[in-house]
Amino acid sequence: MTAALEIRDMGIRFGGLVALDGVNVDVPEWEIVGLIGPNGAGKTTLFNCITGLYQPNSGTVKYRGRDISLLPTHRRVALGIGRTFQNIGLVRELTVLENFLVAQHPRISYGPLSAVLGAPRTFAEERRLRVNALEVLDFLDLAHLKDSKLDGLPYGTLKLIEIGTVLATDPDVVLLDEPSSGMGPEEAHSFGERLLELRRTLNLTVLMIEHHVPLVAGVCDYVYVLNFGRILTEGKPQEVQSHPEVIAAYLGGEVDETADEETAGRLDDRPKEQTDAPS
Amino acid sequence: MSASSEAATLTQPVVEDAAADEIWRPDARGWAARIAVLALIFGGLAYLLASVSQTWANLIAQAAIYAIIGLSLNVVLGYTGQVSLGHHGFVGLSAFVSAGLVSEQGQTFWVGMAAAVLVGAATAGLLGLVALRIKGLYLALITLTFGYVAANSIFEIPALTRGGQGMPAPRPEGFTTNRAYAVLCIGMLALAIFVDWRIVRSKVGRGILAVKQSEAVAASYAVNVTFYKAFAFILSGAFAGLAGSLFAHRVGVVVANNFRFENALLWVLMVVVGGLGRRTGVVIASAFFALFSSLISEITPLRDFIIETLNREPDYFTLVIGSLLALEVIIFAPGGLGGRLSPLTTWLGGARFSMHPDGGGGHHEKEKSGPGRRERLMSRLGLERSATAPAEAEDPEPEAEPAGSVDSDGSDSSEGSDASDEEEKTE
Repeated sequence: MTAALEIRDMGIRFGGLVALDGVNVDVPEWEIVGLIGPNGAGKTTLFNCITGLYQPNSGTVKYRGRDISLLPTHRRVALGIGRTFQNIGLVRELTVLENFLVAQHPRISYGPLSAVLGAPRTFAEERRLRVNALEVLDFLDLAHLKDSKLDGLPYGTLKLIEIGTVLATDPDVVLLDEPSSGMGPEEAHSFGERLLELRRTLNLTVLMIEHHVPLVAGVCDYVYVLNFGRILTEGKPQEVQSHPEVIAAYLGGEVDETADEETAGRLDDRPKEQTDAPS
Repeated sequence: MSASSEAATLTQPVVEDAAADEIWRPDARGWAARIAVLALIFGGLAYLLASVSQTWANLIAQAAIYAIIGLSLNVVLGYTGQVSLGHHGFVGLSAFVSAGLVSEQGQTFWVGMAAAVLVGAATAGLLGLVALRIKGLYLALITLTFGYVAANSIFEIPALTRGGQGMPAPRPEGFTTNRAYAVLCIGMLALAIFVDWRIVRSKVGRGILAVKQSEAVAASYAVNVTFYKAFAFILSGAFAGLAGSLFAHRVGVVVANNFRFENALLWVLMVVVGGLGRRTGVVIASAFFALFSSLISEITPLRDFIIETLNREPDYFTLVIGSLLALEVIIFAPGGLGGRLSPLTTWLGGARFSMHPDGGGGHHEKEKSGPGRRERLMSRLGLERSATAPAEAEDPEPEAEPAGSVDSDGSDSSEGSDASDEEEKTE
């Protein structure tokens, strides 16, 4: 069985600092794989190597069996690898709707020259793109914001918009960089459910950097723990959570760990019908 | 009521509302008003062009050429966010190419103009290759050096430019009078405006803006960063080439002294005053700066004061007033003239009138409409409403209109939401 993403022997140095060293990660089709680890462990660096923003010193990335290590970033994205950024990757000068138009870039058939010269089909296609964008905006309940600039929108809304735009690039594999940062426990919980929902409706495969332990435990099928540029351990979320080295490296002591497990347990036990009950 | 059908009811008003909002267009009276205003503006300009003296017609041609140069610089400055201090190099090179082809090779004006556009695009494309590696201050320095070398070395080579004697650049058949030539220049300006409009309203402009914001983000939207950076410079160069050709044949004899660093500086200032990335503002500001020294010369006492008492040419004050206006814009109105005009221009474009058409302000209040909203947003996207909702959201024609639905006014989306909130509470 070929994995959606197959990362082998990934290594990158910045000067004397070894940011990644012999990292192997498999993301099977239709799984949600978590990537956890303390700050500076190299999680985002790994994302940048996967999408081609960084040129690794060693290692290969295979996407559905195809070696994409030498492709530039935009080609990889066009193949179906979408990603979000830790500190929100949106175009601030554009409106919310226009960001969704940028996101559909890989699916635009007209060329830049016919765009500049105003060929008739560019008008028709732009109209189609707007309709698509509005549909996604409606789905995310953001239609009323379509003409707003991004500045001044709440952080959580921006995160939601970003995930929406990444979905608009029509990805098969999504790399999410701390999607729940800035969310409270309740929101993170709902986000997890939404992610499962999206996976089912859009057939997504997900690799997700996440600090929020209940979320990781609730949605991830498999978890990799990165520490100082190496894979510390990997396994099912429950196995990883109880791994002593992980507790030492990442969770930072047993007191935190038990608290986290309680929350995680609540998430698991909770019947799904109750999740929308406010307060 | 089952969870999924409830979600469907919640989704429909938004769909309805968005669809209505998307196709909002003014009614017949609204269009009539807009067309009347446009006719007044353009009719006034046409009347002005028809009634002024030939000297002023020539200045109007100059204004149109400056406007094209403004649009050219706007692509670099406004869309890519880089500074070019070497545009006099592009414009000058194209001017000499166009003039040389016509007067030395015996080509027609139109061939000269096409060649000028190509040469402008090619040289700017070369600088664009540099810009792939270098940004900001250093790129500005490189463009400055390019402009300096072009103006002080290349343009002075007698074999290429006939040195101080200048390269004759005759006007094309049918456009020999100043007034006719002004019409030609305005026509070309219209073409440039059209192209610029298509840039902004297509994937090209969005790609370039995304690259300006962050190359990593742009690449993650599958935007080819290298291509769009180079493309922006090539477009800018093509505009500069067009302007250079028109410039050459307007003055009739091209000399190196037509293209000095002061010009490049003024052109940057006029884009700043017009508003970075603001087409209308840039065109108006460029025309203003093209005409400024002639305008103040019309006021005799002022001209006498400048020439006799201050011992300066009126030209000199174009840069002075340009710097002052640029300061004013930087401090008080980052959108420039274009930002100030945007309520008018967006209204003319067929949108509702708003004092803040650029988004911001009012829209955000809707987002903060109480704690119930966030709950609702989360529950709507949560698992419990399952697979029916996305299908419903894509349904262009919802069958059932929920009570308390919306009319075609887009500002009602918050009202629609409130109504749904209440629905939820009553259950």
